[in-house]
Amino acid sequence: MRSPALKFILLFVAQTALWNYFNFTPYVFIVFLPAMLLCLPAERGTVRVMILAFILGLIADFLVNGQMGLTSLALVPVAAFRRRVIRIVFGQEFFIRDEALSFHRQGWVKFLWAILLLTGIYLIVYIPVDCAGMYSSGFRTLKFLLSLLASSAVSMAAAFLLLEESDERWK
Amino acid sequence: MPGQKPSSLLISAATFILLELAALLLLRSSSTLQNIWMNRASHRTMAFLWGSGETVRSQFQMDELNRSLQAENALLQERLRAYEALDMDREELARMAARNAANYRYTPATVVKMSRNRTHNYIILNKGSDDGIHPQSGIISDLGVVGVVQAVDKHYSYGLTLMNPQMSIGARIGGSELVAPLTWDGRHSGRALLSNLPPHFNVAPGDTVRTSGFSSIFPPDIPIGVTGGSRLVDGSTRQVDVELFQDFSRLRYVTVVENRDRAAIMALEAEGEVTR
Repeated sequence: MRSPALKFILLFVAQTALWNYFNFTPYVFIVFLPAMLLCLPAERGTVRVMILAFILGLIADFLVNGQMGLTSLALVPVAAFRRRVIRIVFGQEFFIRDEALSFHRQGWVKFLWAILLLTGIYLIVYIPVDCAGMYSSGFRTLKFLLSLLASSAVSMAAAFLLLEESDERWK
Repeated sequence: MPGQKPSSLLISAATFILLELAALLLLRSSSTLQNIWMNRASHRTMAFLWGSGETVRSQFQMDELNRSLQAENALLQERLRAYEALDMDREELARMAARNAANYRYTPATVVKMSRNRTHNYIILNKGSDDGIHPQSGIISDLGVVGVVQAVDKHYSYGLTLMNPQMSIGARIGGSELVAPLTWDGRHSGRALLSNLPPHFNVAPGDTVRTSGFSSIFPPDIPIGVTGGSRLVDGSTRQVDVELFQDFSRLRYVTVVENRDRAAIMALEAEGEVTR
């Protein structure tokens, strides 16, 4: 598949279908929207990505969650910290060299770190708001850790799919 | 951030605050304003998009469903025969009960969409305002309480299931007169908690928990589940585990119950609030 936009849309549809059909347990929440935001072109401005994150969150809530605003609330901070995370994990030179994100170029370990950080930001906001007044802090912590592990594994696959073409560029 | 102009940082921060505030406002209003057009459109879209999934799911459970319907049919026939055998006095009593139950209107419905493993679970039914469904009607099945209708569209209704922290039902244990709020335990699809019981109240495991009938939503004595273990909370109240009769993963057909006198009860309550 050549079009990154089409891949992005299909992955978004996959995320909503995953949320709708695959809720195995309340202990695990799988999200790969932060990884999708990470894979947007790095030069894209923070404001534009935040607005995109807000809209994506609203659409996801409209289609699946029924609690309008919850996904947007968690996804906008991911967009806000996206460039900072890229700078921390991939280095300042990433922007100076005007590089494109690529598993081949930057290596999967760095990607895993970036995905862990961004997914962590998402879950830190999402889980307490979703579980407000309901669960103990122990349950929330367990849910956070299990969700972070499961989401990061799925996010790596999603990011790999989104960045296939830029990988080929570096071979 | 290094390399970023102060003005762009300011714009980013302002956008961030604006979007987060907008998200918070939406979130705050979505739980209470179930009838605003956006939520109704969302429920309709969810029913349209994901409804087929429930149909496929139910196809795999058809055998079991048939067995359950056969069992229910047999039970109803048995009850019918028992009623036919009643003497006049007993029949009079039975008719009194029937008159009492006649305060409620029963509408059969099919589950179009239902979430099961979220923190806030919901249900969408294939009957709406055109079928006479109103918000704040109860949803029950042959196995017990399912939830409460929150919003209605012309052809669909949206409700919160018992597996939702916003749902609380007045319940009674066994033959006792004690009524306590029953809420989902938040972890298991088949377990709930009865809270705020007096600490000295002894609960025998295996007692049936039923609706109290004190709310204007559910008729009294609908079975909900059986009691399990109990514990003291903060030394002042007792909390009891309840194993629900209803298996939410196998739910397909439900009945919507509406208290015909609900409007009058609510009006009386409102009047009482004003005069207090």
